[in-house]
Amino acid sequence: MAIVAFPILIDHGFADAYRVCLRLVLERRKRYKNSMPEATTPAAVVLKDLEKFYAPPRSGIRAYLQPFERGTRPALKGVTFQVNEGEAVALLGANGAGKSTILKILATLLLPTRGQAFVSGHDTTKDARAVRRKLGYHAGSDQGLYPRLTGRQNLLFFGQLNHLTKRGAEKRIAELGERFHLADALEQQVRTLSSGTTQRLSLARALLHAPTVLLLDEPTRSLDAIAAAEFRRFLSTEVLRGAKTSLLFASHALLEIEQLAHRVAVIHQGQLAAFDTVAGLLGRTKTANLEQAFFQLTGTAELFENDERLEHFDDFSHKEQTQ
Amino acid sequence: MSRWRELWLYFWRDLMIARTYRIPFVIDAIQALFGATMFFYAARFVDSPQLRSALPQPGSYFAFALVGWVFFDYLGVAMDAFDQSLIEARDSGTLEHLLVTQTSLPLMLAGSAIYPFLITTLRIAIYLIWGALLFHFPLGSANWVSVIVVLAASLLSFSGLGILSASYLLLFKRGNPAKWLLIGLWGIAGGMLFPVTILPDWLQVVAKLNPMTHALNAMRAALLGGVRLPQLLPAIELLLLFAIVLLPASMVVFYWTLERTKTTGTLSHR
Repeated sequence: MAIVAFPILIDHGFADAYRVCLRLVLERRKRYKNSMPEATTPAAVVLKDLEKFYAPPRSGIRAYLQPFERGTRPALKGVTFQVNEGEAVALLGANGAGKSTILKILATLLLPTRGQAFVSGHDTTKDARAVRRKLGYHAGSDQGLYPRLTGRQNLLFFGQLNHLTKRGAEKRIAELGERFHLADALEQQVRTLSSGTTQRLSLARALLHAPTVLLLDEPTRSLDAIAAAEFRRFLSTEVLRGAKTSLLFASHALLEIEQLAHRVAVIHQGQLAAFDTVAGLLGRTKTANLEQAFFQLTGTAELFENDERLEHFDDFSHKEQTQ
Repeated sequence: MSRWRELWLYFWRDLMIARTYRIPFVIDAIQALFGATMFFYAARFVDSPQLRSALPQPGSYFAFALVGWVFFDYLGVAMDAFDQSLIEARDSGTLEHLLVTQTSLPLMLAGSAIYPFLITTLRIAIYLIWGALLFHFPLGSANWVSVIVVLAASLLSFSGLGILSASYLLLFKRGNPAKWLLIGLWGIAGGMLFPVTILPDWLQVVAKLNPMTHALNAMRAALLGGVRLPQLLPAIELLLLFAIVLLPASMVVFYWTLERTKTTGTLSHR
């Protein structure tokens, strides 16, 4: 563009050069839009052979080269599955299995090495802005609110950044504040709130603009038992059944997965070990509960067989009950 | 939502946060009084007819040095504001949550820089008002239209460097050593506290390539000499030329850096 514009700037002045640049930008944008793939599927979330490799960690002076290194450590190795509209899918896996990597790719915070990810038919790499319009994101480990702003100010700020009008944001804040029992928290600075309340506030933020796809990374991590149950009830009745929002969430809480998820994607060492309903997983592994099914599917069941400590624990709890 | 509205939202956020800290405003005003007083007595100590004759504008060395000192603040803010907004967002954990909204990272950086720029303007105004009230700083001779235009052109030209610095921070996660080298060099070869004409020849060449020199010359001419806009056009054009080159270049580098950090998965790393 500079090559085209510079001679015009010299010969005809700034106004003509500006006009030419503007035309070039508009043409390019039009070409780019025309080249965009059409929404390929009605599914809410699609992962196609998704792969992600990270660069090996470096220290000292070599750390300066890390941003330019090629990824060699696999985090995801060809993960493929889809979440249908209005469906809740849980990501179940050990720490470092690749659950958060999947969520971050879908949230457009991370680029995949190979493969594709779609949210409501939009490619997360090529059409990130359209993807962000559709999704709400919450990471349980990182509430990401401004500690010196009140709950209401935080929600107003993020709601308006998601293109809600001020009035629209205030209305949604009132609705969610009531459902999440945040009436007091809305008027207090976030730094004075308990971690559970901050968590609920952060979840309310993810739902403010009524997203069609909700991505939650360990959503009930800091919530007490009552708040967690309340939150699960809210997700089940209001978000999944009421608003028909699709949900993809990572969790270590097996009860949460059993209560919320229509299907479970078991991720093990960056690969999809299984993708089925809870009943399907139990049937396939011939186990009695999701924990055993998970151990079976990830090949970790033998780690807990003949474990003396667990046997002692079983003996102890048995004695406690009989006394 | 328009981009102006988004920029306003960032400013509103920073204003609301700043409102929770009331005392720093008072401390800033007192600090400005101490600063102006220190400059006045230091200038009185070194002031002489020979020194005055070496200055580009008629007037005291105090006025010359005070303008240099407070205006240099702008360079610091232009270089720091983008870095700081990125560091704050990263450390508070809001960066990822901001990036999943409809906003873009460049807009977030620009929006987050508005408040620091405005507060620096306020600080500079307090410095100058103290100078005028207590030490006869010649505020009455200023041409305010020229002052505002020079200020705007300078901000545009320095902001490109600030965005480059933020790109470095995004990629390497640590402070930018080149930034401090640049600020140090510009302090010497920018005419902050002394005219660049007293520098050795090779440093005068550096000074000519330095946007700070041109910005300071123009600002002193507008503020102390009351020079009108048409006479300042060569300096303003030069500053805008720096901006035309630096701003697009810095945005290209910034977008590349953003893509890179999204590839390496280090966007929110500290």
